[in-house]
Amino acid sequence: MSNKSKAFTREEELLLQDFSRNVSTKSSALFYGNAFIVSAIPIWLFWRIHMIDLYSSLISFVVVTLISTYLVAFAYKNTKFVLKHKVAVKREDAVTREMTKKLAEDKKMSKKEKDERILWKKNEVADYEATTFSIFYNNALFLAIVIFASFYVLKSFTPAFNYILSVGVAGGLLALLSTGTQ
Amino acid sequence: MEKLFCLLAVLSLAGLSAASSACTKPEVSAQSYTTPDATILTNIGFVAEFTLTCGNGIQNPPLFAELGGKTQPVARIGANKYQVSWVEDVKKARRGDYTINIYDEENYAALRKAIRNNEDISTVKPLAAVVLNYPGAYQGPWVNSEFMAFALSIAVWYAAFSAKSKLLA
Amino acid sequence: MKSLYVAVLLLAASGLVMSAEEDSSSQAKLLVSKQIFNKYLVEDMDIVLKYSIYNVGSSAAVNVALKDSSFPADSFTVVGGSLELNVDRIPPGANVSHVVVVRPRKPGYFNFSSAEVNYLPSDEAKQPQYAVSSEPGEGGIIAFRDFDKKFSPHVLDWAFFAVMTLPCLLIPFLLWWSSKSKYEALVKGGKKEKST
Repeated sequence: MSNKSKAFTREEELLLQDFSRNVSTKSSALFYGNAFIVSAIPIWLFWRIHMIDLYSSLISFVVVTLISTYLVAFAYKNTKFVLKHKVAVKREDAVTREMTKKLAEDKKMSKKEKDERILWKKNEVADYEATTFSIFYNNALFLAIVIFASFYVLKSFTPAFNYILSVGVAGGLLALLSTGTQ
Repeated sequence: MEKLFCLLAVLSLAGLSAASSACTKPEVSAQSYTTPDATILTNIGFVAEFTLTCGNGIQNPPLFAELGGKTQPVARIGANKYQVSWVEDVKKARRGDYTINIYDEENYAALRKAIRNNEDISTVKPLAAVVLNYPGAYQGPWVNSEFMAFALSIAVWYAAFSAKSKLLA
Repeated sequence: MKSLYVAVLLLAASGLVMSAEEDSSSQAKLLVSKQIFNKYLVEDMDIVLKYSIYNVGSSAAVNVALKDSSFPADSFTVVGGSLELNVDRIPPGANVSHVVVVRPRKPGYFNFSSAEVNYLPSDEAKQPQYAVSSEPGEGGIIAFRDFDKKFSPHVLDWAFFAVMTLPCLLIPFLLWWSSKSKYEALVKGGKKEKST
């Protein structure tokens, strides 16, 4: 059973791909909202610890946060796409079992409809897990890069320059790494 | 300059008259200062200031201090007000009470004799004792907080990374 | 420790201007050093000063008066000790050390100059001697804000940072983890069912 389930049928593949390429508005909002929050958090570090001048760096805060939001959201999407297939393979067995149990009583439902339901559920679970994990992973990486860059690599630069560079580099690196793997 | 010279003469007279008789029923009230924050220091400053009141009304007697077997004349910083102070390496400074024994000229001579003859100096009774408490000084955090933050963020990222590789495997 | 002691003596000697006439008869001769025990000089933080008076002469110095008027009251606060002191007698070979702790009120360059000492070189002497201590020299006092930026652990700021980042990491992690463990348990449970 598990051996057979490793490979998707062509239809399944198409369905999964279709779902992951077209990021729904809901998950898109989730990505951008999350990316915005995590991109804005470093401002606190720069204000309180690097003692950046708040008023003179207002413009760079806005610009850098927006650029970084875009890059981080891009990384979320890519990572999610890469993960989704793997998660779908991993969860296939369990989801099929869960759904068959659930749909077993329903005698009226046709075999085809049941299979579609299972496929839809598989997609939902894979999407959910890939999305949440992608956000978690990228947030952790982003914060680690920001801390490392601003406190070690760019420590001697002025706070304003340090801010632009470390947050910018963190966003850029995140986007790059998300396309690099696989 | 002339004024200063006059002052010196007066002080010298006071000193001479004080030396003639001993201080009886001494009473000391002390206050002390030690550095609370030693992050920027190489040595901790220990400062004990005390006021001596003699029962027989002697003013400004010359005094000597003994701490840990070392003696030195006590500096007078005001009318009957004295200061005993020293520095100690930040790393070596011991926390707790430091008892400074105060001697007047008479029992200081006895103390010198005891030291010369290698006798136990505790046999010489001091005029008074001043206790300075050193509660310790802040010497900076034992681990740099940005390093802590960095290490934590790396740990979280590493956990995420290993979970990701497991997923992709 | 011994080398330090010698260094201090040399320092004291080099920074010294003696007005004593070279009279070989029994006279006290005082060397005075003024040292600062700070790695950094910071606004509103302690500066530990130590004055050491050594009598290198052959007679006791009498009525020794040391005064350091190089710390103007509007720029420095004395938090421990006194910048003015008297010692009735300093026997030959003896030394007196005196510690004063001051706090600078404002940042900027400050020239730490010398303290003045007046004393009678012997019990019989009538002419007071005048000497000055060594000068620690010029030092930059760092603004507290700059110091704090460099050296403060910012524990509270980091704690708040942690509070802000925690939901960003914990919420997606927990959502993922709960789904993962739910389905993994299902697989395991299923396998158990099958095997029994």
